[in-house]
Amino acid sequence: MAWRAIRAHKLRSTLTTLGVVIGVAAVLTFVILGASLQAGVIGDVSPDDRENVYGWASPPDTNGGPGAGAQPVFTPRDLAQIENEPAVRAAYGFQPVPTQTLSSGNETVPRGSGVYAAGPAYVDREDVAEGRQFRMGEREAVINPAAAALFEQNLTVGDRIEIQVPVVGSVNATVVGITEDAESRSPFEGFNPEPRVYLPTDPYVTDVTQADRTRFSLVVVEATDRGSVDDARDQALAYLNSSESDASGFGDEDLVYNFQTSLELLDQFQELFSVLQNFVVGVAAISLLVGSIGIANIMLVSVTERTREIGIMKAVGAQRRDILQLFIVEAMVLGVVGAILGLGLGLVAGFGVAELVGFEELVIPWEWGAIAVVVGIGVGVLAGLYPAYNASKTDPIDALRYE
Amino acid sequence: MTGGPPGGEDAVASSTTDADADGVVVDDAAVELVDARKTYQLGEPVHALDGVTVDVPRGSYTAVMGPSGSGKSTLMNLVGCLDTPTSGSVFVDGADVGAMNDRERTRLRGEKVGFVFQTFNLMPRLTAVENVALPLVFRGVSKDDRHERAADILERVGLGDRLGHAPNELSGGQRQRVAIARALVNDPALLLADEPTGNLDSETGANILDLFDELKAEGNTLVMVTHERDVAERADRIIHLLDGKIERIEAVGDLAGRQHDDATTERDDVPDDGHADVGGDAA
Repeated sequence: MAWRAIRAHKLRSTLTTLGVVIGVAAVLTFVILGASLQAGVIGDVSPDDRENVYGWASPPDTNGGPGAGAQPVFTPRDLAQIENEPAVRAAYGFQPVPTQTLSSGNETVPRGSGVYAAGPAYVDREDVAEGRQFRMGEREAVINPAAAALFEQNLTVGDRIEIQVPVVGSVNATVVGITEDAESRSPFEGFNPEPRVYLPTDPYVTDVTQADRTRFSLVVVEATDRGSVDDARDQALAYLNSSESDASGFGDEDLVYNFQTSLELLDQFQELFSVLQNFVVGVAAISLLVGSIGIANIMLVSVTERTREIGIMKAVGAQRRDILQLFIVEAMVLGVVGAILGLGLGLVAGFGVAELVGFEELVIPWEWGAIAVVVGIGVGVLAGLYPAYNASKTDPIDALRYE
Repeated sequence: MTGGPPGGEDAVASSTTDADADGVVVDDAAVELVDARKTYQLGEPVHALDGVTVDVPRGSYTAVMGPSGSGKSTLMNLVGCLDTPTSGSVFVDGADVGAMNDRERTRLRGEKVGFVFQTFNLMPRLTAVENVALPLVFRGVSKDDRHERAADILERVGLGDRLGHAPNELSGGQRQRVAIARALVNDPALLLADEPTGNLDSETGANILDLFDELKAEGNTLVMVTHERDVAERADRIIHLLDGKIERIEAVGDLAGRQHDDATTERDDVPDDGHADVGGDAA
């Protein structure tokens, strides 16, 4: 009977349901976009580098992403000392190299970023698809496939490249390895796949700054295995905080060491995203609320309009709970239909916008879909409760007289 | 009929010869009013019904007449278990309506009273058969049983070929027949008709009154409110109300002689009380 009442007022029911549809769809669309954006930016950084700790020293209360406010305090000696700690497999500096162009043969491409100096361990041996890791002290480079593809004739192992570095001039390197993909290798690089060239810090950094004057802002400490990450971090920090380290006796006393795994760094990003997400979902939730007011309103009208019918039903033996049930079911049907349509619309809209914006990866947070649907249905029931209660209280004598 | 109305056991329990709280024996009356009063507080007390004592015996056909404001509607509401008296007692099928809560009263109303209204009061979106089955819905009868029983009764009031029609596809007389079928579907102790011919032309109205005669002949108890003298005269007796009191009770010709034989054979009967069992179990 509830279904029949809904069908009898198609337009009205449709408009009522629309509130819930839009609410649920909005929530879903936004969470799909949010999750896809998050996935696109953060990508799958974490899997390979879980034994790595990324460190820098910055003034206290510095906010920002990995490396924010980093000061150049770590000397090669510090890194060598840290590497001697039992839980540490490797420790090396990480230095983004400012560049203008990359050249190979007589071809030159502009390249303002994506060249990094680090230790050989930075590019894992198993990630090198072709060739090998670079070696310290050699003028060698490992590039990723995107960098290789910058040139008309893809770079291959053995090719020579020339990197134009502002102030310093041009430096040469021999390509000794090509990685298997263009993904970011650490939070220090950012999170997007892009062309990248990896060089050893020696000679490319130490040559320029003189070995004994080299100071790294960013360091990577690799633990011997995943279980030793905390030990490695503790040992590195213990050394750095001791008077023995160059870093402790250098520069500003107030610097704070930030040594974090990529997962921990990701968490900070996630937090940022979730704040954003909550805000957007909050906006969508308001439209759900508006939808619920619509349902309540329509149910109130429906009760008034059907006063006489309620009277008839009571006259022929309908109990209060029968009437209550009838109207709650009606509200619930509106809620359920709205939620399901909203789910469909939200998925379509989410896909559509993600396609339009060009997200590579589409993430559907089903738990949010479920939440939106449950809330949509709940909203229908709650909005129907008061009108249904009103209806159940109707006095049959008055109701039968009602015109 | 297929085994009487659901809840027949309750009916037996509540309608047997139990002397109720007031010690009134209510065995032989479908409805009994004992000094029933209904007072509304509208600034000063208004006695809509001012001490009415009357029996409606089982199987009787009673008309209630009176000018507007005489208490007809109030009497109907009390007898139909829609309302409770301010003082005095109303017994419907032996049960004291005044002592009941809303829930029990609703249940008694659903099981013991069949309403026929001047304006038919059918559910506009339900078909004829669904309208007739509606009282059974609230008693939890299964869909198939409801439909079967409703179709049965519609057949009996001459609408066997209109089962799936909505009220707005039926004529006034047909609608009233649907309403009568709905009133009968629970095998009520009492059929309560409020100006049943008021919205019908005289010929259709006469047909409905003929149907009432048949129902009466089958042993149903009928109470009809009307202000048309010739309609009231179809009953056994006429209760004249004035200012909330019974002015007089007038016996009119026994209409039993006019009963239609053809209608008596199919008629089910109220199983649990003493009145004439005319049709027997038809199913």
